[in-house]
Amino acid sequence: MQLFIGGACSGRRALVAERFPDAVWYRLVSGEESEGWRNSLGSTHSLIVTGWADWLDSAIGEVADDEVIRARWRELLSALGRAETDEAMTVVLILDEMGRGIIPMAPAQRRLRDLNGWLVQDSVAVCEAVWYVRHGLMQRLEGSG
Amino acid sequence: MIAFVSGGARSGKSRHAEALARAYHAQRGGRLVYLATAQARDAELSARIDRHRRQRGDDWHTLEAPLYLDTALAEVKREETVLLDCLTLWSSQWLYAGGGSDAGGEAMLTRVLDMARERRIALVVVSNDLNEGLPPTDSETWRYLAFLQRLHSLLARKADSVQEVIAGLPIEWKTAKEAIS
Repeated sequence: MQLFIGGACSGRRALVAERFPDAVWYRLVSGEESEGWRNSLGSTHSLIVTGWADWLDSAIGEVADDEVIRARWRELLSALGRAETDEAMTVVLILDEMGRGIIPMAPAQRRLRDLNGWLVQDSVAVCEAVWYVRHGLMQRLEGSG
Repeated sequence: MIAFVSGGARSGKSRHAEALARAYHAQRGGRLVYLATAQARDAELSARIDRHRRQRGDDWHTLEAPLYLDTALAEVKREETVLLDCLTLWSSQWLYAGGGSDAGGEAMLTRVLDMARERRIALVVVSNDLNEGLPPTDSETWRYLAFLQRLHSLLARKADSVQEVIAGLPIEWKTAKEAIS
């Protein structure tokens, strides 16, 4: 798996689209346990998974226990990893950097920011390549080649 | 030579950009021009502008350009050195004080970069990195952030040098093939 991380409107989509021109893009559906991406398997060599912040935001509204949410995304990441091996394709995650501003006043926003940071760290642990995108330019943070 | 310098609040980006502009100027001669986007609308802003001016030193020629960057740049001669500080403030003035459109703002920046290129002006542009905090929750802030980020990406694509400043120290994102051109 590969991970592209950057702030809002940092240019991640354009760079990913350039590198994976024939990919299928799948936006996680809020609230779903997220198996919809399986419908795209077999038809593509690369699957781009987006919409993580909305997925988290929606989970925060439904689930009080952070560990339950964390278990959900870990299962999702493992399933994506297994599919990548089974289908001989590349899975690309587009994630948000949102931890660099002022601590939010609203508890739900603090929770979103914290959970997003953990999601990013758990994702990095299962990705071979990690790219940081800033103003349309990118740097490789992890992996080689 | 076009350089794009950005960073967080009080990261030392302006000071670094000034040093960069001085280095270009030392190789080129002509005037060292400060393209100021801030306007002294009240006493606090006026004091702030005076403080910045004193810190920079009096060897700068100041041009004010709260909205029309292209008109101001037209007053700069070939091969002179210009520091534009800062694009963040300009972008908010363009949308909200000037009532300009997103496309009009991008066209203005493109014109300025093209003018600098054609007339071999060394242009250093300073801006703020605002997009790595919690995403906005209202549509107007989203619009502003998306506009500013389009300007940043445009600038990063066209610039010879792109630098991120943290604690006064630059991180190179894009390195100019030749230091002075």
